[in-house]
Amino acid sequence: MAKDRNSGDEYVRPVRRILVGLLIFVLIGLFLLWRIDSPRVERFRANLVDRVMPSFDWALRPVTAATSMFSDFQSYQRIYEQNQELRRELQQMKAWKEAALQLEQKNARLLDLNNVRLDPLLTYVTGVVIADSGSPFRQSVLVNVGKRDGIKDGWATMDGIGIVGRISGVGRNTARVILLTDSNSRIPVAIQPTGQRALLTGDNTAAPPLELLENPELIRPGDRVVSSGDGGVFPAGLLVGQVALGTDGRLRVRLAADYERLEFLRVLRSREHEQIHDPGGLLAPPATTENTTETTEIEAND
Amino acid sequence: MINPVTSRIWVYRVAFLGLCAIIVFFHLLPMQTIPTQWSAPDLLICLSFCWVVRRPDYLPALSVGIVFLISDMFFLRPPGLMAALAVLGTEFLRARSHFIREFPFLLEWAVVTVVIAGVLLGNRLILLILMVDPPVLGLSLLQFLATSLAYPLTVLFSKYALGISKITPAELNR
Repeated sequence: MAKDRNSGDEYVRPVRRILVGLLIFVLIGLFLLWRIDSPRVERFRANLVDRVMPSFDWALRPVTAATSMFSDFQSYQRIYEQNQELRRELQQMKAWKEAALQLEQKNARLLDLNNVRLDPLLTYVTGVVIADSGSPFRQSVLVNVGKRDGIKDGWATMDGIGIVGRISGVGRNTARVILLTDSNSRIPVAIQPTGQRALLTGDNTAAPPLELLENPELIRPGDRVVSSGDGGVFPAGLLVGQVALGTDGRLRVRLAADYERLEFLRVLRSREHEQIHDPGGLLAPPATTENTTETTEIEAND
Repeated sequence: MINPVTSRIWVYRVAFLGLCAIIVFFHLLPMQTIPTQWSAPDLLICLSFCWVVRRPDYLPALSVGIVFLISDMFFLRPPGLMAALAVLGTEFLRARSHFIREFPFLLEWAVVTVVIAGVLLGNRLILLILMVDPPVLGLSLLQFLATSLAYPLTVLFSKYALGISKITPAELNR
């Protein structure tokens, strides 16, 4: 009996080794395929996530809600302090509201005077965040709007206040948003009072640094940072955040969007920018009249 | 006629897949969207290394490959690389699992830590060679430490909550 089993083992072991080798070979092959033809494999990944994630939605949402309720519950402990704080803030807000109303009226009047045409096509689709990237190395979230809703790669995404990120990867029902904090995120920005251009480069920290600044000495912490619209990827003038001086001495941006609670995201429909190819014609007096006068002269000479 | 031993093995094989699914699911919950300064342990590695040392028969190489390939896909890692390394790591431990089972726990822990380091280092080296941007170094080191520290907890959990005890030579020969 025992001898029998041993001889069986002799066959089983090498076969197993070959099968495991085959498995590793297939996995490495997939990785190399990804390295060579990344878009195709990434499309497959997007389709897979698109197929699987919405079916987990029923489970994802209650668990997320329960955990956020738990953290809300913890904050009840200091409810009195919070109440006081809110009252103070409300007082300040009333002052701001008054200022905002006045500014709004003034703005409307000025726009009217100038006959400004605002971009009418900047509308948005709102989606709900259904999952995040699940690893500490990638900063992205998945929203429940996709190709079905006309979402396209590269569109800007905001929460109510500021830019959150950029669409990268669209499935039928879901789309992935690469957050500004991801180490692959680069967006062109302008710093408000001086109008300087810079690149906001995510580096996996909560406050991404500004790079490629021309005159860093002109910039003060607290300056507003908005998207500049360079390169035609993002619409211009969307709020990104405020400049802050990091502990490492670099200029960083404190983001305006509330990254603590990303729940509803607006995806801005931005249309293709019209390109101007024509360098502009030479302005000259109309040539045809000259020609006719010449011909008449020639005829007269004849 | 299903042999009770065989059915027990299959129950644990399915349980491994289920546990891994739960771990991946909890990783994907959108609770933490702010970048963190620390990183959670890679529980999938802990769990599979713990089981392969204790009960190699509960953990076929195919299920390790499948679990890590799926987590590669969902966690936006380069697909296949981590899966291949995890299969290599578990096979390395499986081949030496009789010796490791006779070690005292501290020595087992040290061996597993070295294998975890090998897997993470291999991942980083291959990414560097193929000129893919590897993850931030500080975070990877923290993840390695956290994973190594989580290993004893995984062992305790497997032993007392799931009833995974070291396989005996009698069971091995059956």
